[in-house]
Amino acid sequence: MLPLTRFWLRWRRPPVARIPGRNLGVRKVASGVSPPSSASPRALNIFDRDLKRKQKNWAARQPEPLKFEYLKEEVGSRIADRVHDIARDFPLALDVGCGRGYIAQNLNKETVGKFFQADIAENALKNTLETEIPTVTVLADEEFLPFRENTFNLVVSSLSLHWVNDLPRALEQIHYVLKPDGVFIGAMFGGDTLYELRCSLQLAETEREGGFSPHISPFTAVNDLGHLLGRAGFNTLTVDTDEIQVNYPGMFELMEDLQGMGESNCAWNRKALLHRDTMLAAAAVYQEMYRNEDGSVPATYQIYYMIGWKYHDSQARPAERGSATVSFGELGKINLVSQGKKSQ
Amino acid sequence: MSGNGAVWGRVRCRLRAFPERLAACRAEAVAYGRCVQASTAPGGRLRKDLCAQEFEALRRCFAAAAKDALKGGP
Repeated sequence: MLPLTRFWLRWRRPPVARIPGRNLGVRKVASGVSPPSSASPRALNIFDRDLKRKQKNWAARQPEPLKFEYLKEEVGSRIADRVHDIARDFPLALDVGCGRGYIAQNLNKETVGKFFQADIAENALKNTLETEIPTVTVLADEEFLPFRENTFNLVVSSLSLHWVNDLPRALEQIHYVLKPDGVFIGAMFGGDTLYELRCSLQLAETEREGGFSPHISPFTAVNDLGHLLGRAGFNTLTVDTDEIQVNYPGMFELMEDLQGMGESNCAWNRKALLHRDTMLAAAAVYQEMYRNEDGSVPATYQIYYMIGWKYHDSQARPAERGSATVSFGELGKINLVSQGKKSQ
Repeated sequence: MSGNGAVWGRVRCRLRAFPERLAACRAEAVAYGRCVQASTAPGGRLRKDLCAQEFEALRRCFAAAAKDALKGGP
């Protein structure tokens, strides 16, 4: 059995090591040392990462990629807002799963000095959007970041962590490459995303075929996200949810857009075939159950935004027990005290 | 998407015509949707072919819309 284990470990090496030097003009970064807490031997394998790379490459090769990427654009700008909200500038930043670089597009040179953009799809990296910040593109998997410890002041990730197999390990890697007092701002899809599509397909498949199989990939729950971030070592966590509802003419247009975004299903347990009858039935059910007044159908995207800090001595810590100087009972008197001071 | 993608292109073309054909069969689609939705109410149980009649009507209308589209085309 030993030779088999060795072969398995070799296959799991980061893809960066396998790129030929001639293409892309991307800088080849040497594989970093993997963090002390590596993946458990029974690491989860829910998604086919190879297929996801192919799907993202295909999506990035579309003649009009911007037609499908409105969601990534919107979430990228919201993450850039959160970066601007932090009253600090970041000399070195990393974008994990950047796609065509929607976050860098909204940031400026004063906030971020240099930007590393990492993604698994080389076509997306070849067509990155214009930005004024100097960038370096790296072909890397979210679970195997090829950077040294304590490198980055800021790590951002927009809508790519929901395809990661071992999310705890990915978050630990992000924590590893962050400098102390560095911050991670991420956005990923949440549990309620595309629930209309999921329900319509389930009902239609049950009625037409007698059973159903999952067609929407599994998402993380918001409680689990807090636990995962804490386990990875982040401090001062903030997780908030946001819902974006997009209206489509029908279910088929929604499915086409999802494929154009590179968000097709790549879970190992997906059914390879969706019958025409089932699709027709699901479209009819979707229309009837969730339709808006004007005849369009909504699709909900629930997005979790998370912010986590890497520990540093300068960060505020909870005070010692018994060190309070004011009692909670005096809270009601705060207004009177401040008014008294103003009148003086 | 292997080779030159001819098969995939043909299938995708056919799939692109689905929304129009579905729009031509609005009444049958509503009937089928209502039947399935009724089974999700408390006390209802969804099983295979519960709404087979409505679906047959929808499928026939769908196929007829395809023929019309073919005739009406160039």
